[in-house]
Amino acid sequence: MPRAVLGSAGRQRRAAGASITRLDRDRPLVEAARRDPSQFDALYRRYLAQVYSFAYYELGDHHEAEDATERTFLAALAGLDRFEERALPAEGPDASTFRIWLFRIARNAVANQRRHRRRHPADPIEVAEVIPAATNVEAAVVRRDEASAAWQAIDRLPADRRRAIILRFVDDMSTSEIASVLGRSEGAVRVLLHRALRAVGRELGVGQKTASDVAKSR
Amino acid sequence: MTFLDRGADVDALRTDRYLDSLLSADRSAADAPADSGLDPLIRGVATRLRRHLAPVHPSFRFEERLASRLAEMAASMRLADAAGAEGAPVAAPGPVGLEPFEDLFGDDLATRARPLIIGGAITSAALSIAGAAYVAWRRTRTPRSRTRLD
Repeated sequence: MPRAVLGSAGRQRRAAGASITRLDRDRPLVEAARRDPSQFDALYRRYLAQVYSFAYYELGDHHEAEDATERTFLAALAGLDRFEERALPAEGPDASTFRIWLFRIARNAVANQRRHRRRHPADPIEVAEVIPAATNVEAAVVRRDEASAAWQAIDRLPADRRRAIILRFVDDMSTSEIASVLGRSEGAVRVLLHRALRAVGRELGVGQKTASDVAKSR
Repeated sequence: MTFLDRGADVDALRTDRYLDSLLSADRSAADAPADSGLDPLIRGVATRLRRHLAPVHPSFRFEERLASRLAEMAASMRLADAAGAEGAPVAAPGPVGLEPFEDLFGDDLATRARPLIIGGAITSAALSIAGAAYVAWRRTRTPRSRTRLD
């Protein structure tokens, strides 16, 4: 018997008697992959960069991100029969519960990876690879430093806040999608994000005048 | 709900609406329209994170290697189906030393680990109390009392 995959958020919807319609954006691809597992390749290509980005920002290391991504997709293919489509009309034509299901697997793979690794990476995330090359070297250096500081501030956040920030900013997920991935209510995710941004902002000193700004204003 | 809680919820909602408009705009957009009550700190840090948290793509080599691994696994699943072994577990081990796939489908690994720790602590405490009680009982059973019982 297939298991429920959406956790508490899905259960709340069912309890509320919401009608479940089959309108998942990925439905044709999932059905094709169920009929013929080799068709899973289309789903893999569609979500590879998103899952990899999530793992990379969570783990801060390319090799570990590759391991987590690999496990996520292998597990998703092996467990595709467990996936239950749960998109609702209110979620619109872009809804994909497959994406949420996939990210729940990725979240667990990343959590396991973090638990299994014996030490934290010696170097912070290689932000240089994320930032496109700029013609102005000075601007590029400033931007790299800013990105590195931002990443370090995010890395120090509690796990749920950090994940919520990454899913919102890197993977462009809505609050409702993040709620399903993390198994929290939408309200709880909104508060998580708000508090996470405040914490990162305070750490980065956003809105505070730097010493050079003060000197200039005199 | 207290007045303070309601205030926090309203702030969180404002932040969420601002993020919706900021993140739906093009990545190169510097800012997006915001509610006048939005905390400037939130606005400042959100625009900064929007600039710096760009999606990353894995290397082409990794992408193709994993694609061929998935294709091999798909082929073995098809063979298993053809042989009538539907539902049989598919052997596709991940990196050595990590958990089996079954663990990746759980609701929340962190919350699953917690009851185990709490259960272990309670069992340990119960064993300690039982041990102490046994020692105390043994001490009350002096050789004389044992003789009397005999």
